[in-house]
Order: sequence, then structure tokens, then C-alpha cells
Amino acid sequence: MTTFRKLNVSRVKDVDVVIFKDSKILDEELLDELRTELLAVVGNRPAPDVLLDFSNVEFMSSAMLGLLGVVHRKMKKADGRLKMCSIRPEIFTVFKLTNLDKLFSITADAGEAMKAFE
Amino acid sequence: MNAVDIVVAEDSRIQARMLQKVLVDAGHSVRLAEHGGVALEMVRERRPDVIISDIEMPEMDGYTFCKAVKSDPELRSVPLILLSTLSDPVDIIRGLDAGADNYVTKPYDPGYLLARMGDLLATPLELDSAGAATLDVTLAGQTFQVKAGRQQVLNLLVSTFENAVTKNQELVVANRDLSLARDELQRSNQELTTLNEKISRINKQMTRDLEAAARVQQSLLPDDEVKVPQVELAWRYVPCQSLAGDFLNVFQLDAEHLGLYVVDVSGHGVPSSLMAVTVGRFLSPKVSDSSLLVRPDGNGGSKLATPSEVAFQLNELFQADEFSGLYFTMLYGVLHVPSGRLRYVSAGHTPLAQVSADGTATLHEMAGFPVGFVPDVEFDEDALTLSPGDRLYLYSDGVPEAMNAEREQFGDEAMKDVLSKGQGTALDGTVASLLSAVETWCVPNGPLDDVSILGLEWGGPG
Repeated sequence: MTTFRKLNVSRVKDVDVVIFKDSKILDEELLDELRTELLAVVGNRPAPDVLLDFSNVEFMSSAMLGLLGVVHRKMKKADGRLKMCSIRPEIFTVFKLTNLDKLFSITADAGEAMKAFE
Repeated sequence: MNAVDIVVAEDSRIQARMLQKVLVDAGHSVRLAEHGGVALEMVRERRPDVIISDIEMPEMDGYTFCKAVKSDPELRSVPLILLSTLSDPVDIIRGLDAGADNYVTKPYDPGYLLARMGDLLATPLELDSAGAATLDVTLAGQTFQVKAGRQQVLNLLVSTFENAVTKNQELVVANRDLSLARDELQRSNQELTTLNEKISRINKQMTRDLEAAARVQQSLLPDDEVKVPQVELAWRYVPCQSLAGDFLNVFQLDAEHLGLYVVDVSGHGVPSSLMAVTVGRFLSPKVSDSSLLVRPDGNGGSKLATPSEVAFQLNELFQADEFSGLYFTMLYGVLHVPSGRLRYVSAGHTPLAQVSADGTATLHEMAGFPVGFVPDVEFDEDALTLSPGDRLYLYSDGVPEAMNAEREQFGDEAMKDVLSKGQGTALDGTVASLLSAVETWCVPNGPLDDVSILGLEWGGPG
């Protein structure tokens, strides 16, 4: 799958940078599509580097956390590095409440994340 | 038929070229004219063997062209075929009046056209223009005066009749095809009706199954048998679809302890509710080897697992897999009833709400991983001691995150406000008014997530 309907994926210095197209990640259909597409981005290669950019996301349901967990586990198994950036404060609270801000590698913006990948 | 020279008058380039091809393929030579005026010049310049003319053309139409040809002594013996759509019967009269020898209707079969041409060439035309009678012909209430020779009339009639017969045959075939199509359609319609009935039956069955499952889920909720003297309990459980991903329970663990929890599985509907029920079975107060809450202590007695231990064990059991991605948040507490001391663990759950007797509402924030996210993790525990008259509320995020029509959240402040105000009234009434406030907030679409609220009031050491 090289064309994604819900994601903008670009390659920057060996890192797959993924930007979510939808501003509201709420309904089940969208989550199913995102699962398929995100897992396709991770793919089957060893040690992938992936950055999830949340700058477009205004609202996110808690089910999305489960999906991020799935992606996180797959990346871990493949010895890859997963980072997330540009998460708005309103959404970040749910990451804090669930301690996932300590589990996931989250930076303020893409610039910081790319530096951390080097 | 020998090769002949034909002049074709046709304003449509495509149709002219098509006709030219038909005639050239049959061995003839063709001169094309884009309207009657050009055609007239061509036939005067060099007399053709046959003329074929369209009727609707700019500058000079087919009838005018035909009249001009037929009134020219040099040219009138040349057979002239008119191509027409013949949509109006008056066209025949006009054709006769113009002196045309034959009609071929469009769209035409090339073979038919060539055959008509051949017939015309085989039989020399009767040129009795001088003795031709003027006939009165009445059609559609109008009378026409037509000057036409007998052969001309016969030729025209024959070609018109042949056309009509061919068209009629085509109609018969089309009609038969239509009949077949209609039968096909009827059969399909019947199939469709049968399928619809089947779908309706299956749908009803599914609805019954869902309702039965919902009843099972409801039956697992706390029963009213939990009667502890110093403790007042109340709860509300409102799935947003028939099955809920939320679960709540409160029960006696032993003579002095009460256990209570709210579990919120991610998502909702069938998979989440299956998970919720399964989790609920593990969080049962019945002493057994599989119970996470109360284990045999080896001396014939039992001991309570601490909330932290419970969360840890659950987490090991329920690691989310790649396919379901389901995880759950949980707030589990153990209350020592004589002292009012509560130990509790929050696995990524909404904060515990405590409302003191004077109405002050406090949210106890505690960060923790949800259950099922990361294996082998310690869950922090917290503790608080209640004062007499204090109330505790456990709830799912369907309460603070309930959204109104403008997609604004109900919020922690609004929740605390309802709980504070309810402090002087009965516990059950306060729980009910919180639910009611959420439901009012969510008008007209209703809550999009399950709503669970569990309230407890501690009367004191007794």
C-alpha cells in the first residue's frame, strides 16, 4: 500500500514521518482504517524509524490510545524507534492520566523528534 | 451490378463518409456534396448514374434539390433516392411532390440501400412528366396536390412499405426482448423480497441475542444484597449501545472490608463488553485459587490482595494483543469499613471523587498505565481516610467527557458541582441527578460513551 487515505507519509532522512489527515479521530471506521494504514507504514522491515505527527489532531477518543499501543508493541518487536510530536495540550492530558507520556517517546515538535532520531 | 457513378448530398461529414465507404466498397465511384446547391452543380457538370440525397441540409434541402433535378430534362432520368428519417407521413407526400424515386429511412442497412439502388438501375424510369396527372392527396386533414407519375408513386410506395415492414420486424424482436426482460425483472424482484425477509428475520434474531447478552451483563451488576450498616451505596449503569464496555461492582470481601471498582474497556459494543464481563469474573470476591481479590492463605483462612497486587495480576493476564488492541482503565479500592480507610489503585482511570459532609468536592488525580498496555509494571497505590458523612464516587470517563451538540465536554467542574450540591440529599438521588445532568447535556444525540457511576457514603465508625 503506497497511497494512504488517512495519512500523509513522507520520508525524511530515513524516518517515516506520518501526519494524520483527520482533525477528529473518533469513530470506529476511522480507527479501523488508521490501524490498517499505520501497521502498513511500520511494515515488516527491521528497525524502522517512525514519527507520528499530531499537529492536525484536535480531538482523539481513548480507543486511539489502544491503537497507539498496538503500533508501539509492533515497533518494539521489530526493534524500531517510535516517536510522537505536536500533541495539543487538551489531548496530552489523556496521555498524562494514563502514564503513557512516560511510555511513549513524545516531543513538542517534529524538529526535536528528528534530532532525537540521529 | 456494374460500377456506377454516384453523387451523394449529405451535410453530416460522418454520415457522408460512411455512405461513401459503403458505396466504394461495392465498387462504385462517389462524389460528395455538403448540400443541395453543391450537389446540383456537380450533377450538371457531369451526369451521375444515381443520386442519393439527405433531406435536411443547409442552403438547399433535399426536396428542393430533387425538384431541381427532376425538372431538368438532362437529369430527370437519373434515379434519385432520398434519405429520410420519415418521422412524419407528410414527408412521403413531399417526396412524391419533389419527384423522388425512392425513400430509404435512416438508420439504414447498407445492403438494403445497395439493393434498392440496384433495382432502380435495373428498371429505367418512366418519364411521363408531360402526361403526369396532378393527384389530390389528403392527409391529416390537409390536401396536397401532387404531380407524380404512376411508376414513381409505385416505387415510392414499395420502398416505404419495405421500410415499414423492416421496422415492424425490428419492433417485434424488441418487444420480445422486453417481455423477456420483464420476466427477468419479476423473478429478481421476488428474489429480492425473499432476501429482504431473510435479512429481517436474521436482524430480529440478532436483536434478541443482543438483548439477551445485555440482560446477562445487567445480571452481573451488584445486587442489592450488599448491606453494610455504616455504608450507603448507589449506582447507575447506562450502556450507550445495548452492550457496554463499562463495568462496575461493589461487594463484601470479608467481615470488615468492602471492595469496589469501575472498569472501562476501550471502545464499546460486543468486543468491549466481552472483555468487561471477563474482567468482572476475575474481580469476583469469591475465595478461590483463580480469584485475584481473595486468596486462600494456606491456613484455612483467606487474605485480601492489595489493590496494587490486583492491578499487577490483571495486567499480566490481559496484555492487549495486536488484533484487538483492547485495554482497560480501572479504579479498584478496598475500604476498611470500621476505620473508613480506603486503599485504591487507578490504572489510567478518571480521578476518584470525594465529597466531604460540608459539600467540598475533591478529585484525587493519580496517573497509572491502563491495564494491558505494558507487561510487568508496578501500579502505585494511594490511600485516604474518610470522615463521617463523606462520599466517594467512582465513574467512567463517559461522565466528564460527555459531549453536547457543539462537541463541548461536560467537564470535571460541572461534575463536581452536581456532586457538591447533592451532598445534603440522599445518595441515590445525587447519583441519579449526575446521570440526569449528563443526559441533558448530551441532548439530542444522547451520550456517545457508556456511563457508569458508583457512589458510596460512609456513616462513620459505627
